[in-house]
Amino acid sequence: MKRLVAIAVLILAASGITAQEPFNAAGRGAQGPNGVVATAKPEASQVGIDILKKGGNAVDAAIAAAFAMGVLEPDTNGIGGGGFMILRLATMKEAVVIDFREVAPTASKPDMFKLDERGRILNHAGTDGGLSVGVPGDVAGLLHALDAFGSKRLTRAQILQPAIHMATQGISVTANLDKNIKDSLEKINAFPACAELFLQEGLPYEIGEKIKNPDLARTLAIIASKGAEGFYKGEIAVKIAAEVKKQGGILTVQDLASYAIKVRKPVRGTYRGYTILSVPPASSGGTHLIELLNVMETYDLKALGRNSPATAHRWSEAMKLVFADRAKYMADTDFATVPLSGLVSKAYARELAARISPKESMTAPLPGNPAQYESGSTTHLSVMDKEGNMVSITKSIGLLFGSGVLVPGTGILLNDHMSDFVPKPGSVNSIEPGKRPLSSISPSLLLDPKGKSFMTIGSPGATRIFTTVAQVISNILDFGMPLQEAIAAPRLAQPHTGNLSLETRLPAATQKALGTLGHKLTLRGDWDPYFGGVQAVLYDAKTQQLIGGADPRRDGQAIAF
Amino acid sequence: MRQAAPLICTLLLLGPGTVKAQGFNLKAPIATQPTLVTGVGQSADIEMVKVLLNRGKVVFKADPQAKAGALAASGSKSLVLVIGGSSKGLGAAGISAEVDIERAKGLVAEARKLGLKIIGLHVGGEGRRGQMSDKFITGAVPLCDYVIVVATGNKDGLFNQLCAKGKIPLDSVDKIANAGAPLLKAFK
Repeated sequence: MKRLVAIAVLILAASGITAQEPFNAAGRGAQGPNGVVATAKPEASQVGIDILKKGGNAVDAAIAAAFAMGVLEPDTNGIGGGGFMILRLATMKEAVVIDFREVAPTASKPDMFKLDERGRILNHAGTDGGLSVGVPGDVAGLLHALDAFGSKRLTRAQILQPAIHMATQGISVTANLDKNIKDSLEKINAFPACAELFLQEGLPYEIGEKIKNPDLARTLAIIASKGAEGFYKGEIAVKIAAEVKKQGGILTVQDLASYAIKVRKPVRGTYRGYTILSVPPASSGGTHLIELLNVMETYDLKALGRNSPATAHRWSEAMKLVFADRAKYMADTDFATVPLSGLVSKAYARELAARISPKESMTAPLPGNPAQYESGSTTHLSVMDKEGNMVSITKSIGLLFGSGVLVPGTGILLNDHMSDFVPKPGSVNSIEPGKRPLSSISPSLLLDPKGKSFMTIGSPGATRIFTTVAQVISNILDFGMPLQEAIAAPRLAQPHTGNLSLETRLPAATQKALGTLGHKLTLRGDWDPYFGGVQAVLYDAKTQQLIGGADPRRDGQAIAF
Repeated sequence: MRQAAPLICTLLLLGPGTVKAQGFNLKAPIATQPTLVTGVGQSADIEMVKVLLNRGKVVFKADPQAKAGALAASGSKSLVLVIGGSSKGLGAAGISAEVDIERAKGLVAEARKLGLKIIGLHVGGEGRRGQMSDKFITGAVPLCDYVIVVATGNKDGLFNQLCAKGKIPLDSVDKIANAGAPLLKAFK
């Protein structure tokens, strides 16, 4: 009988594990002397660690983990999408940004979307279906980084093999993926190939069941064998263009063949003596991350208090001003003039800070004039190795499940990043052929006051990306919080106008005081993926340990060795 | 005891939801076809219920934002409420949680006037619980004549409490696909 009871207990314990609690804040961080990989999935972090153990560098590990993430988190990213990466090898004087954002197809036009009387795109065409698809940059970007900055000690096939294996064997449905599938059922059902992959006879897989994507495994094997050409030319390109056209889109095989990544110089700023390096346009994220931190640097946040009304109010007001600037100025700098150095100038930040009243909330702040100081569902991963090599990659297919267009026979789910343009003529971010849509993606690197590698950080979360990254940086540098604690701390997000969104763990007294200051609050969950999913790795010079942190709001996990 | 042991292990392995699903608590069909399916909380879970009804060949119309005024003209003879909140769904519909709850209450009041039976389903599991979804659950479940829940959405027994209070038959199933059987049995 005792044995039976023991078996019963084991069964109960096992069923608890299988059920996977949707939220588990414990055990997300890791530390070790040789390397840390922090991604939005434990399996992808392990892929990166295995690559480091085989003698690869941080870039090799990051690229292997990035391809694996495309398989493991197909609802947010993959080879049908694009992104941005910033990396700095310990031997490099300057960090490098690889912009592998999607571009608008050649046949695209500023007025290609039909709008209703309120300026909204009709029939979800901006987010669902062929017209929403931009030319994917994921494969070109990841393989460029591997070729240019990888250790050369591992072959492309070795880097892609874990992703191929996972696509073949299947990925487990987690509570997070389960919710995302259920939330996106309308989109998934609208595209039969997408429904065939993600549903079983019309219903979602149960948590713990596996979704296999053998077509994607075959596509990845072609890329492993032929490189980027295997994706952008030939059989795969023909299938992509044909399916996009079938779903009402305009992307052609010529668009795919002519896709090119951009290698850019990072935007540069400082916060409390630490150097911040991040991505320039076509992402707005890096610039506005620095602009926001510059404004916050004018305050003694430590004295104002963590999670206090005064601190939360200043974050909210600064975010309003930054988003006002974003709407007015930000676009692809290959097509528009953007006052970048003004936006990141300390003097401009002081001017913005002077507009913030400590006593009341602004209702509709206007953009500033930075020119006088001139001289967007997504995933993030961070890798750092013992040499001090740092890689930060944020990549995306747009909204959850992208355009919904899944290319039959390839397993590729295509992006909907055309929705990140302003869908009418006259804006700096209007649609033009070959132009990159504006993004908020902000993979970033921090150097310590001596210029040494300190931290790699980034997050998904659409326009909350850079505001989230800024808050985590502040938690570490202003309040001395350990990395994992800084990631777990409650967040807020304030757009240009409208309500201030809060995680409800922010103290009730702070919430009440914010209301008194005139803020209209939207109370979200205690731990809400709305506020992103930060993955970061930090070097602690005192202990000579690499410390990884990952976000419990999604399936984040850091692994070290 | 030795004979009972395998049964104990099996029951533990399958979990309480399945145990309840073997014998449904609704003893006789209550609802007439065609039925009107609407959302309470505007989650995409309504898509799953449409699949279940299609599988069972139940005649239905689906309108996530069905309003009281249109119920009589729809010709519907019963009402299915798919309960569970989605900020994405509410945002797309351009309504607040409070507005959607009021709409549902108005719809149910009209259904009562017309003599329609009301079935509530919560098929979103644990992911469709929490502060926002619970508003819809506590608002809508007491209005139903019969409730079906996927067990992972009822780990804390909220549905048991609400249904016990209103003396509403409740059936719990272990997974979404298994919600089809009690749902179909509810229709004449």
